[in-house]
Amino acid sequence: VSDRPDYLGPSYMLGTPSEPPPTRAQVWRARARRLLWPPTPEVLAALFAATVTGLGGYGLLFAATLSSRLPSPIDWEAAAALVGRDARPGDIVALAPPWAERAREFLPERLPTRPDVPLVTNSFLDYATEELPGVRRVWLVSLPRAPGYSGDIARELASRSTAIDGPQQLGALQVTRYDLQTPMRPLYFFPDRLSSARVQVGEETCAADAAGGLRCAGTPSLRVAREVREVDFLPRACISVVASSDPARPSAIDFPDVPMGRALRGHTGAAGDGGLGAPVAVRLRVRVDGEEVGELEEHPRSPGWHAFQFDTSRFAGRRLPVSFQLSAVQPTREPICLDAMTLP
Amino acid sequence: VNIRSTKTRLAVLLPRSPSRRIALAWSLGVLCIAAATAPAVGISRDESVYLEAAENYAHFWMLAVRSPGKALSLVDRYYAVNREHPGLAKGVYGFTHALLADGLGITGHLQGSRFGAFLFAAVLAGLLSMWGSALAGAWGGSLAPALFFLVPRHFYHAHPAVLDLPETAFWFATAYAYWRSVGGGGDHARSGRWALATGLLFGAAVATKHNGWFLVPLLFGCWLAVALPALLREGPRALSARFPSAFLSMAVFGPLVLFATWPWLWPEPLPRLRDYFAFHLHHENYPWMYLGRLLRDPPFPASYPFVVTALTVPAAILACMCGGLVQSIARIVRSLRGYIEDVSLPTEMLLSANALFPIALIAWPTIPHFGGVKHWMPAMPFLALLGARALVNAGQVLVPRRPSAVTGTLAALALAPAAWQVAHVHPFGTAAWNELAGGAAGAASMGMQRQFWGDNMARVLPVVNGHAAPGARVWFQEATWLAVKEYQRDGRLRGDLAWANGPEDADISIWHYHQEFRDKEFRTWTDFGTARPATGVYLDEVPLVEVYARPGAWR
Repeated sequence: VSDRPDYLGPSYMLGTPSEPPPTRAQVWRARARRLLWPPTPEVLAALFAATVTGLGGYGLLFAATLSSRLPSPIDWEAAAALVGRDARPGDIVALAPPWAERAREFLPERLPTRPDVPLVTNSFLDYATEELPGVRRVWLVSLPRAPGYSGDIARELASRSTAIDGPQQLGALQVTRYDLQTPMRPLYFFPDRLSSARVQVGEETCAADAAGGLRCAGTPSLRVAREVREVDFLPRACISVVASSDPARPSAIDFPDVPMGRALRGHTGAAGDGGLGAPVAVRLRVRVDGEEVGELEEHPRSPGWHAFQFDTSRFAGRRLPVSFQLSAVQPTREPICLDAMTLP
Repeated sequence: VNIRSTKTRLAVLLPRSPSRRIALAWSLGVLCIAAATAPAVGISRDESVYLEAAENYAHFWMLAVRSPGKALSLVDRYYAVNREHPGLAKGVYGFTHALLADGLGITGHLQGSRFGAFLFAAVLAGLLSMWGSALAGAWGGSLAPALFFLVPRHFYHAHPAVLDLPETAFWFATAYAYWRSVGGGGDHARSGRWALATGLLFGAAVATKHNGWFLVPLLFGCWLAVALPALLREGPRALSARFPSAFLSMAVFGPLVLFATWPWLWPEPLPRLRDYFAFHLHHENYPWMYLGRLLRDPPFPASYPFVVTALTVPAAILACMCGGLVQSIARIVRSLRGYIEDVSLPTEMLLSANALFPIALIAWPTIPHFGGVKHWMPAMPFLALLGARALVNAGQVLVPRRPSAVTGTLAALALAPAAWQVAHVHPFGTAAWNELAGGAAGAASMGMQRQFWGDNMARVLPVVNGHAAPGARVWFQEATWLAVKEYQRDGRLRGDLAWANGPEDADISIWHYHQEFRDKEFRTWTDFGTARPATGVYLDEVPLVEVYARPGAWR
């Protein structure tokens, strides 16, 4: 019992290793703590003054440099001249940031050498998933030093391109050309061929109106036209159509002579504020040569540009009539934006 | 000798107290600057309606002077225009229009009506200066109005004949009078007069816009928070001794002023008051862009007014305001804990609560979120006051021997970029975003509301006048027919240009960028066969207004 170790005895007093010298960061942290804590009025006033000084200085710097970060009219003219000179059929223009739509005021709307070919300037937000039917090359006009600019659009285009030409610096603008790796080349884009279509409501055939659309007799709100409409905030070139609510008299758009491929692909969406009106679902049926190849339902309460695709490989290589039939569950005045194409 | 005598006469006219001289200088300065810079500011949707209402109201009062009986029988005819809002501010606009444009003929019609708005801005500047002086001396009186009016959106609101800046002015004036009535500023002798003024000014606030009613719970809450311990200690008998007479004055004069200045109520007071409150309790929700989302229906994000304030007030001014608010809250906390004694708890409570309450109120998710900063603008003069005091105190604490040098330097650093922003964005105040947002361009990238209610169209009117084909039909989109009529009456828009109801029956389309209306722009492309604007209005390259024309309509 008496052999218990003496815990206070010298054999148990192990020597403690000496403290390592403080690192530079620790020294600075200790100094800062001594300086700032507890926060005296002087410290708080100094922090306040430093914040005001820093933000004031930043504000002055921002204001002083802003104009040099943005393009001048001459920069826009230079970009327009470049794109106008080198653009070809199958080209479009993209903008980054997408709000830089002043570009439309300067860039050509049609190819200078081919006035029959449009050169569309798009302000899409996302080029990673955008299908871009018929587009082979994209000219990206960007404002890389503009506040809020991000390189997302350039990266998205680069990821789907085989070749990139540029960027060419034109003042505060950059112009870059992207050659798409796998362009989507439709055989037939229905909205552009609406003039060759026959539109009927039941047995009544709709007649062309002065504005280039087709108006159906007896139903003043039922009009079919090739328009650019807003769907989910973006411009979509589509067939704008108000569906008939009479099940016995659906709205039908018949294209007589369509080159068929492996698939018939398209999109539907509520145009404009259509998605905010009464929740009326619209049913779309697609027939090829009288045979139904697919159907879908567009719900106006689900905004968006909804894609559909039907297998038409059994019709591939032939020219056949294609019919789109639209019917609404209840009476509606809100148009549906419909685009469709046949793909090889 | 003549110069000396003129100087002497002028000196007699000037107030003796330096703080009042500073306040007067601020009032006159704001009045002159607002008047000089107003012509560039276009007519917004709501202003166009108020202008129409103002002239109607002025006609009513002139008729009431000549033939009271006849005027009473025609109340509904004159006051049916814009019966959603009470009549005081619009009555003032009608009066200044009748005097300056119709009577003296020294201004145009728009400027004549807007002169009333300049007066409200001048009054607010003067009051801000007075209270600033009382809180923080001459520097406080000089800086407080600057911190408020050098916020681009506030500067913008000093121009149009609308209701938000007058409401802010009356709100602030009511709080100031209340503060004086409870002994703020150390002048107990006149507290009775200030209590009376509180009631009258509160009446003016509720006779301008419905926001004014919130002053009742706010001021009462401020008083109760301070008085409650004493009331609990001393019992209900202490209530009569401590209850501010300003509240009685508000209870009496608030409804009286509202009723007296709004003849619309006279024929059927209670049913019409009920309709009035019902309208605002079930106010329509306008679509509004916020961080890439189009807000249409509640619940709205509670962060909205805080984020929009943080991204529209110039950053250094924002730092001053936040610093001042933190300082005030810290003083309240330290005072309640007994750490410091030289703090007026009622003053700090009043300032902090007024600086926070209007913002917190709009943050409530079911309250409509639209209109930029104007709905919580009553908070901003209080933040400006606190910011001014913080700047002054910083100078006193950092270099006690030369506090003015520090305060002056900090103020210059806070105000210079703000003044630059004001000059840069004017007259596009509804499109102003600060350097933290990246200006208009950064805000567009963030998906914030780009502008609102059609006033930025004024910039393209000279170009439209120069290029539109004779008799062209113009679709003005977001601008109202009343605004177009007003521009034509003042000779700012050609009289031969006709109103069109939409792009389909227009030769020229003046499209105002609103995300929720983009379909109308795209339909213009289809109808006109072009997506290329003939001209446009851009702020930092961000499109605000685009003008499209059919072939042949633009020369």
